[in-house]
Amino acid sequence: MSEPQIAKPLKTWSHLAGKRRKPSEYEIVSTNLHFTTDNPDAPFELDPNFPMAQWFKKNRNASPLKHGDWNAFRDPDEIIYRTYNMLQDGHENYVFGLFDQFSARGHDAMLEDGWARHLARLYTPGRYLMHTLQMGSAYLSQMAPASTISNCATYQAADSLRWLTHTAYRTAELKKTFGDLGFGTGERGIWENDPAWQGFRELVEKGLCAYDWAEGFVALNLVARPAFEEAGLRALGQAGRHNGDTLLGLLTDAQLADAERHRRWTGALVKMALETEGNREALQNWLAKWAPLGDAAIDAFCAHLPDSPGAAQTAREACAALRRGYGL
Amino acid sequence: MALLDRAEWYDIARATNWTPKYVSQAELFPDLMTGAQGVPMEKWEVYDEPYKTSYPEYVRIQREKDAGAYSVKAALERSRIFEDADPGWRSILKSHYGAIALGEYAAMSAEARMVRFGQAPGMRNMATFGMMDENRHAQIQLFFPHEYCPKDRQFDWAHKAYHTNEWAAIAARHAFDDLFMSRSATDIAVMLTFAFETGFTNMQFLGLAADAAETGDFTFASLISSIQTDESRHAQIGGPALQVLIANGRKAEAQRLVDIAIARAWRIFCILTGPSMDYNTPLEHRKQSFKEFMQEWIVGQFERSLIDLGLDLPWYWEKMIAEFDYQHHAYQMGLWFWRPTLWWNPAAGVTPECREWLEEKYPGWNATFGKCWDVITDNLLNGRPELTAPETLPIVCNMSQIPICAVPGDGWNVKDYPLEHEGRLYHFNSEIDRWIFEQDPARYRDHMTLVDRFLAGKISPPNLLGALIYMNLQPGEMGDDAHGYSWVEKFREPAKAAAE
Ligand SMILES: [Fe+2]
Ligand SMILES: [Fe+2]
Repeated sequence: MSEPQIAKPLKTWSHLAGKRRKPSEYEIVSTNLHFTTDNPDAPFELDPNFPMAQWFKKNRNASPLKHGDWNAFRDPDEIIYRTYNMLQDGHENYVFGLFDQFSARGHDAMLEDGWARHLARLYTPGRYLMHTLQMGSAYLSQMAPASTISNCATYQAADSLRWLTHTAYRTAELKKTFGDLGFGTGERGIWENDPAWQGFRELVEKGLCAYDWAEGFVALNLVARPAFEEAGLRALGQAGRHNGDTLLGLLTDAQLADAERHRRWTGALVKMALETEGNREALQNWLAKWAPLGDAAIDAFCAHLPDSPGAAQTAREACAALRRGYGL
Repeated sequence: MALLDRAEWYDIARATNWTPKYVSQAELFPDLMTGAQGVPMEKWEVYDEPYKTSYPEYVRIQREKDAGAYSVKAALERSRIFEDADPGWRSILKSHYGAIALGEYAAMSAEARMVRFGQAPGMRNMATFGMMDENRHAQIQLFFPHEYCPKDRQFDWAHKAYHTNEWAAIAARHAFDDLFMSRSATDIAVMLTFAFETGFTNMQFLGLAADAAETGDFTFASLISSIQTDESRHAQIGGPALQVLIANGRKAEAQRLVDIAIARAWRIFCILTGPSMDYNTPLEHRKQSFKEFMQEWIVGQFERSLIDLGLDLPWYWEKMIAEFDYQHHAYQMGLWFWRPTLWWNPAAGVTPECREWLEEKYPGWNATFGKCWDVITDNLLNGRPELTAPETLPIVCNMSQIPICAVPGDGWNVKDYPLEHEGRLYHFNSEIDRWIFEQDPARYRDHMTLVDRFLAGKISPPNLLGALIYMNLQPGEMGDDAHGYSWVEKFREPAKAAAE
């Protein structure tokens, strides 16, 4: 090695300086931010093998899903914190505008008692499921091998809290009109015992315990999320439209816009993973384990949806088509 | 009818604990990640976050905050604040961004651990906002210094520092990995949000914002105060967690975590903020000495929040307060002496006027630290700059990763606090550092300090050049005296006068 050269000022970070084009704000603030991936033998600047170091070495570094450069991952939407809030503040104004307008119109008072009972059983307990998605995304955020993946997971966790918040809001509102149907009090019991939810509960409880970062990603982003979105949002929203609940359909549509964004980065990550030999097998093996749980969850839930013939099959097919679209 | 008040639905949004059926509670919340100390999940449900917010409020307020901070930056883009500021101020910016930006990103992972493994729903929701906040702090503190990259290569270190083996970066990683990155959700609530954020970041950011305004760097002042508003919200995650632990008979364990965290935070703060306040900040802009600042914020305010929660003062409190008098002066000597190993240019901060100020604020400074600076000044005055460059290896503390140092000269108290553990001899800067090691030796056992690596032959060639290569420092980014030694000239006249 010769004498070190004199380092000159660069137009951007040294790790981006070799790229042929000017970096975007997204690249400047999002890329290569995890330092615990730098030394594979010691995730932390501490003992290389104490229990938390082993957790990261096992569940992140030794994952069956391999790539030579996870830091090359880019979110197709290039969302950064600043733009996330602009985007979602706008979307929240829309949703809370809906709440305001529909409430002014006396929407809930016009709902039939029978449909309200369905909402108490199939809609408001969903906050527990949304919360598990929030938790699972936060796990991915802390375990992903690249900051560009972690950021997507962070925003996805926040989106899940967004959905949960909408549900909590509507729960309180429905309780005002239907005081005797257990809104705001009965959800935990339904989530824990009602057959409509047990498929989803099994899927997410097990999915949350898939501690290998990539298996967790498969269980939640490739299976549980699409299954819930197709059954618990889309099919439920459609059932709402058949029962005079226009608000629910508009609300689930608004939430599905978040899901579309999640699906774009999820697809980009799968596509990137498939560049490396052996990853297809790893992903297929996990899907063989998790997709049947997703289908079972859809079946159990849709079996109780009123006015929804064929809903389960439509949802299952949508999930399968989504995964096919990812190249799986 | 209109929109519901937040209070009408807030509790529903934080009623999300359930009993798992398809996996066990221990699988869903492994102790390693959760750290609940045996307090059952339902006991955590009384957790009540004092600072409440909700998703729609969060995205609205944060959007407004960003609009404010970014528009100040845009408005001042063409000003010459950066060029005209004292070089000591630029050094503060460089050391701050390098030591903080990616540390903030690490804090995002720690908040994420509380979202996933926290035992209280309110804590998981608040940590979701906390995780978003830390995402913001990393991004905004990368975006702002990035603008300076074309002017000064050292600003590359805002992004690069944590990816290197530069010694201060090793020290920062060791501290932050131990304080939060490798901790359980409960430990993080106590150590990061309560001890570190209410105790130290609050203060670091308030102090910095004031200094920035004083210096005329309004971009940085508005950035830092904007970040501080987020910190003061999510720092409140820790208090109710501590209350749950104490109410369930875990006070001793909670106290131990707090004591470890404060001790670790103090070291980082002492080497980063101490020299910034008492040496790098130009004399005319200094409001308070570092010691006065510590007395006001840590002793005056944080002490009270410890007591209010039912905790005791750490066992080493008086020892730590005694360090306010000298430890950061010792660190400053080390930083300046080892200046090629830094990514910023440290200001010596020892002109005759500065020394007068130091003696006033720290009586006895001239007879101790002053004597070392006398030798340095003398060597520079007499054309022997090579004698002000490092030659020997320091002994590095196995906890702080900072060279062991204390008071030189008349007040000499430099001492190694050794410990033999499983056949290896460890060295510590103080009884406090050694005590932290003893709390959980497995966390630290096989870690090697930079000097350990040097002695183990991992650095070649085994000299300063090899060390600089190992630390990723090239000429053009290595540190040197912030003022190009011009301060030495102020000693030339009086020296001449005395000789005549
Ligand atoms: Fe922060
Ligand atoms: Fe923070």
